[in-house]
Amino acid sequence: MRNLHFLGIVVVWVNFLFGQYRPENGVAPSEFGKIAITHVDVYVSSGKKLKNVTVLISDKKIVAIGESTKIPEGYLEYERDGHTIVPAFIEINSSAGTRTAKSEYQGYYPQLESAKKGDFYWNEAIHPEIHGIDGLNANDDRFDELKKMGFGFVTPLQNDGIVQGVAPLLAIGAQKESDFVQLAELSLHLSLDKGVSQQTYPSSLMGSIALLRQAYYDLNYYKNHRDAPLGKQSMDPWTEADELPVFFKVNDKWDILRAEKIAQEFKRSFIYITAGDEYAIAEKLKEQRASLVIPLNFPKPYDLKDPYTARNISIEELKHWELAPFNFIMLKNQGLSVALSTQGTPTASVWTSLRKMISLGAKPEDVLAALTEVPAAFLGVDSLIGTLNPGTLASFGVYNKDPFYFEADLLEMWSLGRPESIKPFVPNTLGKYNLNLKNKRFEMLVIGNPQKPSVSLIEIKDIWDTKLRAYKKDTLKTTVNFSATGSDISFQFTTKDSEKGEAYMLRGKIIGNGSVWEGDLVNPNGSWGHWSAIRKSQVSDTSGKIKVSTAAIPACWYPNMAYGYDQLPVETTTVFENVVIWTNDAKGIIQNGYAVVQKGLITYVGSSKPNYPQNAKIIDGRGFHLTSGIIDEHSHIAISRGVNEGGQSVSAEVSIGDVVYPEDISIYRQLAGGVTAAQLLHGSANAIGGQSALIKLKWGTTPEEMKISGAPGFIKFALGENVKQSNWGERNVVRFPQTRMGVEQVFYDAFYRAKHYKKAWEVFGASNTSQAQAPRVDLELDVLCQILDSKRFITCHSYVQSEVNMLMKVADSMGFRVNTFTHILEGYKVADKMKTHGAGGSTFADWWAYKFEVNDAIPYNAALMHQQGITVAINSDDAEMGRRLNQEAAKGFKYGGMSEEEAWKMVTLNPAKLLRLDNRMGSVSVGKDADLVLWSANPLSLLAKVKLTMIEGVEYFNEEKNAELQRKNTEEKMRLLRKMSENSSRNDPKKTLLPKKKQFYHCDTLGEEGTSNENMH
Amino acid sequence: MLRKLIFFLVLGWFGTAFSQRILIVNGYLHPAEGQEITSSLLEIENGRIKAIKNALSNSYNAKEWDTIIDASDHHIYPGFVAGNSTLGLTEIDAVRATNDFREVGEFNPHVRSQIAFNVESKVVETVKTNGVLLVQATPRGGFISGSSSIMTTGGWNWEDATVLSDDGVHINWPNPPYENMKKGEDDLNKGEKRYLDEVREIQQFFKAARAYATGKGTEHDLRLEAMKDCFTGTKRTYFHANDIRQLSDVLEFCTDFSLKFPVIIGGNDAYMLGQRLVDARIPIMLNRLHRLPERDEDPIDLPFCLPAILSKMGVTFCLQNAGGMEAMNARNLPFLAGTAQAYGLTELEALRAITITPCEIMGIDKSFGSIEVGKSATLFISKGPALDIKTNQVTTVLLNGKLESIQNFQEELYLKYQKKYKAANN
Repeated sequence: MRNLHFLGIVVVWVNFLFGQYRPENGVAPSEFGKIAITHVDVYVSSGKKLKNVTVLISDKKIVAIGESTKIPEGYLEYERDGHTIVPAFIEINSSAGTRTAKSEYQGYYPQLESAKKGDFYWNEAIHPEIHGIDGLNANDDRFDELKKMGFGFVTPLQNDGIVQGVAPLLAIGAQKESDFVQLAELSLHLSLDKGVSQQTYPSSLMGSIALLRQAYYDLNYYKNHRDAPLGKQSMDPWTEADELPVFFKVNDKWDILRAEKIAQEFKRSFIYITAGDEYAIAEKLKEQRASLVIPLNFPKPYDLKDPYTARNISIEELKHWELAPFNFIMLKNQGLSVALSTQGTPTASVWTSLRKMISLGAKPEDVLAALTEVPAAFLGVDSLIGTLNPGTLASFGVYNKDPFYFEADLLEMWSLGRPESIKPFVPNTLGKYNLNLKNKRFEMLVIGNPQKPSVSLIEIKDIWDTKLRAYKKDTLKTTVNFSATGSDISFQFTTKDSEKGEAYMLRGKIIGNGSVWEGDLVNPNGSWGHWSAIRKSQVSDTSGKIKVSTAAIPACWYPNMAYGYDQLPVETTTVFENVVIWTNDAKGIIQNGYAVVQKGLITYVGSSKPNYPQNAKIIDGRGFHLTSGIIDEHSHIAISRGVNEGGQSVSAEVSIGDVVYPEDISIYRQLAGGVTAAQLLHGSANAIGGQSALIKLKWGTTPEEMKISGAPGFIKFALGENVKQSNWGERNVVRFPQTRMGVEQVFYDAFYRAKHYKKAWEVFGASNTSQAQAPRVDLELDVLCQILDSKRFITCHSYVQSEVNMLMKVADSMGFRVNTFTHILEGYKVADKMKTHGAGGSTFADWWAYKFEVNDAIPYNAALMHQQGITVAINSDDAEMGRRLNQEAAKGFKYGGMSEEEAWKMVTLNPAKLLRLDNRMGSVSVGKDADLVLWSANPLSLLAKVKLTMIEGVEYFNEEKNAELQRKNTEEKMRLLRKMSENSSRNDPKKTLLPKKKQFYHCDTLGEEGTSNENMH
Repeated sequence: MLRKLIFFLVLGWFGTAFSQRILIVNGYLHPAEGQEITSSLLEIENGRIKAIKNALSNSYNAKEWDTIIDASDHHIYPGFVAGNSTLGLTEIDAVRATNDFREVGEFNPHVRSQIAFNVESKVVETVKTNGVLLVQATPRGGFISGSSSIMTTGGWNWEDATVLSDDGVHINWPNPPYENMKKGEDDLNKGEKRYLDEVREIQQFFKAARAYATGKGTEHDLRLEAMKDCFTGTKRTYFHANDIRQLSDVLEFCTDFSLKFPVIIGGNDAYMLGQRLVDARIPIMLNRLHRLPERDEDPIDLPFCLPAILSKMGVTFCLQNAGGMEAMNARNLPFLAGTAQAYGLTELEALRAITITPCEIMGIDKSFGSIEVGKSATLFISKGPALDIKTNQVTTVLLNGKLESIQNFQEELYLKYQKKYKAANN
């Protein structure tokens, strides 16, 4: 007996579930556990498709798949001739059926502490205790929708909070109710969005990152200290769930790199649920070997009927629209593990998107794997779901054609061995028929998509030709109004036998495989009759084949937006000749000088002509001025989702370094203003803000590449009106402090806590007993200890003399020093005290009158502080002024009569000193970084324009290149608009253009949303 | 001679009518209208310019003059004009009690800035010392903010400081649909509808105003009365608008209502209107040049280049500095002109854009805006070219022929603390 050539092993079915677990009303229903599905093509796995085989199912699982002519005894047969079976898809990213998260807090004033009753973690955004199956609503329509797309499994969880909770594995479809929940705890979910929590902390992305890190430290600590007051009701479930696979939901591509740092810090591995723009950093992700769950909801095209509107669509959005469907392909090209998610995709578009990906060049087997094996492997349940190997759960879809090669219909979804009809089976009726009515004969043509064929009739008539005096054959074509439900069909047609037409109405059935149709009809005269049709020849079904295009993947720019480069500029050996050089060192201003740049460093500066290195680019600087790059000591550009963590008065744990945003157009615009480096500061919403990021404006690179390696650490402190929330409206009156008196005490409290913490670690470090327990890591106090150890330096937002004096006294008594006072508009009143303390000043050239504490601000401030021997810088704190800092420096010359050289140093060498980078930057001196700017005139003059800006020998900006990029912007935009209007048919859903305000951060910008308004500083 | 001047300053007689006859000698004259004179004799009598002579070919008799100011190696400019500013109407932005530029309501043409102008504002004096001697004090907010007045940046009281009261009415054209969406709305049609509704509201108001202006014996209506002169042209109609859609609709609106002297304030996209704008002959008070481009892909220097673009097109325009912290920033108006020069205007064109042109637009050019015989002696002397930061060093200010203090409270604080440190260091 070689009737069966089954693949794989035959699993012995053992009924170990004796007895009745659920009471039944009446006699228990008959249920056939043993099923054979015959004559089907099966994707056993993404790489293995078997043709014309039988699938055997026993007790919810696949038992065997093999060629067959006869099925084993005791099996119920389902004939699915010619259909294709695909493993059920798995949706990882869904909140189907889960409860909607909502905040407990109803108060009017800001909520500083958790409002949750019970022994939970102190922050409401951390709730590992939340469980996907708590209050789960199995009737949610979203389950149904997923099923209709071919999904059989889903791991739902409410999408809320930073530690979101634990998701179960659900089987959705026709399985028994008792099989709905496959696994109660399958995966842990994280994000960087605080969600519905109204607790003030965290209020920024960097706050979310710091909170998650602190929570992980607390978890690690809790594992060894079960009595620690960290919230038993949160920490116990988390401890348990810590072994589960972790899915990390991100808002954009940069979040992946941010989260990856956390993964490395805590030796965890995260699988990222992404936003769909990862293609732009595919190569970086390859280095990280990131695992991704990417979305299928490609951006919709914009409605382009209005040129006023079309003008406001950014190149960034247009490019994303074009590239998003290639995301999967570009990530797979880097060899990454990628799963697909339908989250946010309308049901109707899911298969459209999948087919689009395939038509653009995605491999069908990769797409299948991304919906099945890959998510199963991510979840660690690949032995159970994701393939149809023997032993896996019998959950799959039955399609009328191979859906990865054809536009196919899902007809039936099986879940754990039980089928559910999605669409009726329709026999393939394509072909040529003879349709016979009582006194008429037609040729019937059935063509097109078998699911919805189009039918036409050709009447064959013998007509008397009066000229030829003979009968001749004539044909009359009639179209038919045809509809079918399964094998029940009905159709009407009208012949032109009389002037008004003769109408026939037919009803009948398709018999067998479709070769014979027959039924009853009503004749035009109202009499009833019988009809039949017999197939003469078959027409093969080639409808809906997915056409694969061979077009290249569109270019992605660095960064992928306006003024992006095709290719990153590279470091070149450069000689500047015949140029006025503002050296900022002992050489002063060289009137006719030479400077040589090699390997990113300045290798020669002087007035005599050096030997030029080979292959050097020679730049004739006649009439031009060469300076070191401008350094903006106080900047808030290039920051993602929040410049202030104002949720608490002390937030030393947060860092701008975690949220550098390299696609801010301000970077490019400031390069064009001669800025090469900047300190990206935390805002001034609280007394102890966050850590700074020191970056160079390397447009087109990643956050980590922009950060200045080996730069010392800085932190923002703040005093005055912003800290005490003076101008924040009447709701913000509850956070301590609300007066300058309180501000002082915040500092004392923080530093006393830091000292105790330091002591605790010192004691631990000195103990040699093995029982000694390490204290709990406190990220906030760690950073304050760095200040006490002179390993981190303070830039303090300050205005009036009283508060400046106060902080210096606090610092003196607590044993630290204030490195820089920023704004410091009354610095001129306490310059002597600042000098004694050793603080520098970074100030505005002439800003004042915007709030009460700047009432005594004077433009002579810089000059007067400088006269007292203080290192003085002029900063921007403003994306617009940041590109004209050379002009602001000139105000030092105007107000208070500094020399030109000293004025110029206020935006170059002096900020370098304040940032402790003057060994590398700030002057045109041999050995320093080649961060250089070539100006068309004296840089202190309004007439000066930047010809070229170089960072470490790489020309990131030059005039000609800028003109070229500008031209390319226009070309690219017009190309994309054209493509968008060509590719979107009138009925496609369109996107409305929404006002997207530019994100410009200032010192007092709160929350994650930036503002286009002018603000306080 | 300069010593003599300083001597008088110490006596503190500025602002009085003490000096009837002033002669400024040997200064580099930038008259804004007519030829520059590298060494000039500028005769001032009773607050007006009596004669302008070349010092190289003319001499003078010192005895004939009450005051002689030596301006050798110095530059003389007509007072700069800060159009469209809240200067004098606010002291400290964040302190509500000091803000007097935004009235409640949408249609407030009757609200007048003149009487709220704080001539002794500390901010005003810091602006004056950079050469900004005239300001168009302008209300803000609503669809019609109110009526502006043109003031000098010095004087005893607002009457004293007034150059022209109620020079024009300010209309804030509704935001284009794209920017007229409420938070959470995702349908552009809503913005479109709101825009059209708002435009209709303004049209209705203007219809009423026109009817009122032509009617006789109607009951006195404060609002409509304030609009009357917009139809005769004695009062300007200022339209604050930047977006192409707004500007296009404003042009049509001006034609529909046959407005006699419309002016566009802002005009970011004005250059896009091309010949239509040129033909309409509507002048533009151009939005602050020191701002960021609206869109990522815009040329990075587009705002800086607009003056040269408009100039090439033949459009009448001037510069102004409204925007964030605009009161305090009015002192940087000269440097907007400097920027315009760096980006394509000639020095003279740049100078005219903050002197004679705004005066022409506002209707005060008969007496102000240039140094010409018969005009008010509202001018200043600077150590160097006043459009560049480095060289803008004002040494003398004349308002209507009266000498003004050039020391503001900020310089006083500077000297005070400098003295403190000197004492401590000795």
